[in-house]
Amino acid sequence: MIHQEEVDYGTGQKKLGIYLLGLVSCSLLTLLSFWVVMSERLAKWEIFVIIYLSALVQFFVQLICFLRLNTQTEQGRNNVISFVFTAVILTSLFIGSLWIMWNLNYNMQH
Amino acid sequence: MFEHLLFGNLTLNAIPFDVPIIMGADIFMIATFLLVIFLITFYRKWPYMWHEWVTSVDHKKIGIMYLILAGVMLLRGFSDVVLMRSQQAVAAGHSAGFLPPEHFDQIFSAHGVIMIFFVAMPFMFALLNIAVPLQIGARDVAYPYLNSLSFWMTFAGAMLCNASLLIGKFSAAGWLAYPPLSEWYYSPTEGVDYYIWSLQIAGVGTLLAGINFVATIIKMRCKGMTLMKMPIFVWSALCSMILVILAFPVLTVTLALLTLDRLLGMHFFTDFAGGNNMMYINLIWVWGHPEVYILILPAFGIFSEIVATFSQKKLFGYTTMVWAIAIIAFLSFVVWLHHFFTMGAGADVNAFFGIATMVIAIPTGVKIFNWLFTMYKGRIILATPMLWVAAFFTTFAIGGMTGVMLAIPPVDFELHNSLFLVAHFHNVLIGGTLFGFFAGIIYWFPKAFGFRLDEKWGIGSFVFWVIGFYIAFMPLYVLGLNGVTRRLDHYANTQYQPYFITAAIGAACVLIGIILQIIQLYVSIKNREALRDRTGDPWNGRTLEWSVSSPAPLYNFAVLPTVETLDQFWVNKHQHHTEGTVHPKDIHYHPIHLPKNTAAGFIIAMFSGITGFALIWHMWIPGIIGLLGVLITWIARTFSTDTDFYIDAETVRKTELAHIKEKV
Amino acid sequence: MHREITAVEGHYAESDSTDVFGFWLYIMTDCILFGCLFATFVVLNDGNATGPLLKNYVDLKTVLSETFFLLASNFTFCLAMLNLYHRKLLKVQAWLIVTFLLGASFIFLELREFITFAKAGFAWNINAHASSFFTLVGTHGLHVSCGLFWILIMIIQLPLIKAAHIAERRMTYLGLFWNFLDIVWVFVFTVVYLTGAM
Repeated sequence: MIHQEEVDYGTGQKKLGIYLLGLVSCSLLTLLSFWVVMSERLAKWEIFVIIYLSALVQFFVQLICFLRLNTQTEQGRNNVISFVFTAVILTSLFIGSLWIMWNLNYNMQH
Repeated sequence: MFEHLLFGNLTLNAIPFDVPIIMGADIFMIATFLLVIFLITFYRKWPYMWHEWVTSVDHKKIGIMYLILAGVMLLRGFSDVVLMRSQQAVAAGHSAGFLPPEHFDQIFSAHGVIMIFFVAMPFMFALLNIAVPLQIGARDVAYPYLNSLSFWMTFAGAMLCNASLLIGKFSAAGWLAYPPLSEWYYSPTEGVDYYIWSLQIAGVGTLLAGINFVATIIKMRCKGMTLMKMPIFVWSALCSMILVILAFPVLTVTLALLTLDRLLGMHFFTDFAGGNNMMYINLIWVWGHPEVYILILPAFGIFSEIVATFSQKKLFGYTTMVWAIAIIAFLSFVVWLHHFFTMGAGADVNAFFGIATMVIAIPTGVKIFNWLFTMYKGRIILATPMLWVAAFFTTFAIGGMTGVMLAIPPVDFELHNSLFLVAHFHNVLIGGTLFGFFAGIIYWFPKAFGFRLDEKWGIGSFVFWVIGFYIAFMPLYVLGLNGVTRRLDHYANTQYQPYFITAAIGAACVLIGIILQIIQLYVSIKNREALRDRTGDPWNGRTLEWSVSSPAPLYNFAVLPTVETLDQFWVNKHQHHTEGTVHPKDIHYHPIHLPKNTAAGFIIAMFSGITGFALIWHMWIPGIIGLLGVLITWIARTFSTDTDFYIDAETVRKTELAHIKEKV
Repeated sequence: MHREITAVEGHYAESDSTDVFGFWLYIMTDCILFGCLFATFVVLNDGNATGPLLKNYVDLKTVLSETFFLLASNFTFCLAMLNLYHRKLLKVQAWLIVTFLLGASFIFLELREFITFAKAGFAWNINAHASSFFTLVGTHGLHVSCGLFWILIMIIQLPLIKAAHIAERRMTYLGLFWNFLDIVWVFVFTVVYLTGAM
């Protein structure tokens, strides 16, 4: 019988505790974001910052608690490197496109 | 109502009975197709074709099939060249030539699509399939079934593009189908849809192949082969496939958004209701620029292998070469705006992207110098692969320099969409990619087929190709500097005509070159016994693929190799290792585990083709049937348990000993 | 799938690791795909949109419910995985059914939202703002629907799979896919719904 420990999927050890931690943290962060928008108590830019920061934190919580991305094993490192490459290109694509399109719209509107 | 769901917009009028040129091409295409069917039937080869080729999951066979697809589509793409060059040579002043504008538009659109997607990409995957698993000491790629699927998806895309020649029209919106011209409002026919679906289907194949090769190279290298001990071609393949993984989804999305605009009336790229056609141009070039680097990097890898082998010297500066490939791959993602400097992004944006584009010339220059340094003080063998390399140096350098010129925004404002641009990109694509792939196929032909290609005819085809290229494209540089735009079906200024005629002569020379290549193939097959490669190492090579027989056995290596250094095969040959090596007849062979052939890849691709054709013509019922066919086949295969088999040790031993005998 | 055997029969760890790596690479391509859709959404929503706007139609309470359904299904899938490694097949199927029901609730709410919007005049062919909304959220919903279908297949197929490592590998694929979709949803509700409703 092959046990999970022998195959290196690049995902960490599966533990109920970490999943519960993930579930609770994500729930709290979600509730925070929604509450901040729905209650309309703060200034617009403050809401903006909070929901995007909350999304970013939840993103990492999900990566670490549910996807179990780690650098402990060789495959884990392969996964992290592929992910970093993708993230770099995504950032370049996203920011580049926004910069270009904003400039185009600005210049071509008059 | 039911008839409309079944047949959509498809009627018999879709066949262009009234256009002689197209009907001629169609008759030729159908005749060739029927001839092939007839020959296979006559020689009773259908079981052989099905069991040995169509259902094969062997990377070596799949590589050969990619090669055949590329060769056939090269002929179709080149027939577009003949038509365009002839038209432009005669359509000066008051003459309108022999091609009406809407036909000419389809020709240049199809030419670009075919050459990039159905010649260059399949050619590249052919060489990757033939060489990479052998070079890393593996038995096959990581996902043999997906490999088969990738090939057949590319094939289905190519066949859809060919179907447009007979049934309906192809896109007349250029090889990138910019909106708003490609929107339903301005192109309310099936043309752009043919374009979209051939590319989407082939694109899925390419994406899966990209994943396949990255996983193969990262995970399946033989023992001892660290990343910095891989052959340089494998490095170039790895970087190119990483680019495929990161860039092709952008193409998929962009074409899908265009489809949603056309099919469901959405407003991504329309010129009203908030649509922004510049976003299409932005996204398509986010894909488009990495695409050309996807094509050139393996060519660079091939040049590295060939220069080292035919100079009989270690590649100069392996580490810097690897870094150069990686830097070029990364930079290719941050330069895409240089394809649309003139579209109004402003000086800051243009300056950033212009400088980034020029920076790519630096690592490329490093590579060229390293190749020259490899040749310096080497003992050069001027076989045909090396001839192609020599032609590449000059041709690609000129093309690269014109690229740096175009990278300067103010210069580009003069030259954007002129014939100067057309000359530049053909310069680098032909001089770089195509010459590289030609060199590669001559180099690896013996490994794939077991015999070499005829040298004399090879030299002949080389001479005509290179001379033809220069005669065809240098006049275009001059014309571009004089302000002539691209994609002209006729022009008023007769002073340009001599240049266009010269270009046509150049195209004719290239045509002779292609004919000579066909003759070379015929002669080589006829004389294959004389040209046979019995040792497995016809070029005195440096890398692992030359350590097995030609063609390689089904399992590649009877015993997976272990390496300690770069170019281990070369090192072993020249250190005359006799002690410590075991004679093949004394090796203890094990049964080898291999994947079984499967029809699933072929069937899924055929259903995808049917779905594509159905969606093009709005034939909703066939479309749903096609989609269900894809899904059911895919899922059914996951329930299958009979997917692999073992070759017994005795068969392995017999095959290995037979190879030893033929070597002697 | 390619498997290299050594002298010991049944040693599949290397090839299983390679297979899951390939699936991870596919997920990376899906990241790029969603990235383009997000970029398109942001570009086409520069605030100067004409016609109907999302903020006039959106009901954040529905979105919150959808979010919790998806998050819960993410968690229950992880529970199914835990039970798989403890070889408790019936519990795996049970948790998969729960995951399916939670995911189906998500899709139900989302479809209901789409139909309500379209009937009220905020349809995908009305303007670029709406087109990008329906496409981005719809693509995510399509992925989730495919995932649901896959969960059904898995429930049926698991008892039929003889080798434990194959079951583990296939569930790992599905787990990566399902987790990834919840991550994309975090960005969807932040960038599309919360920002759009402000």
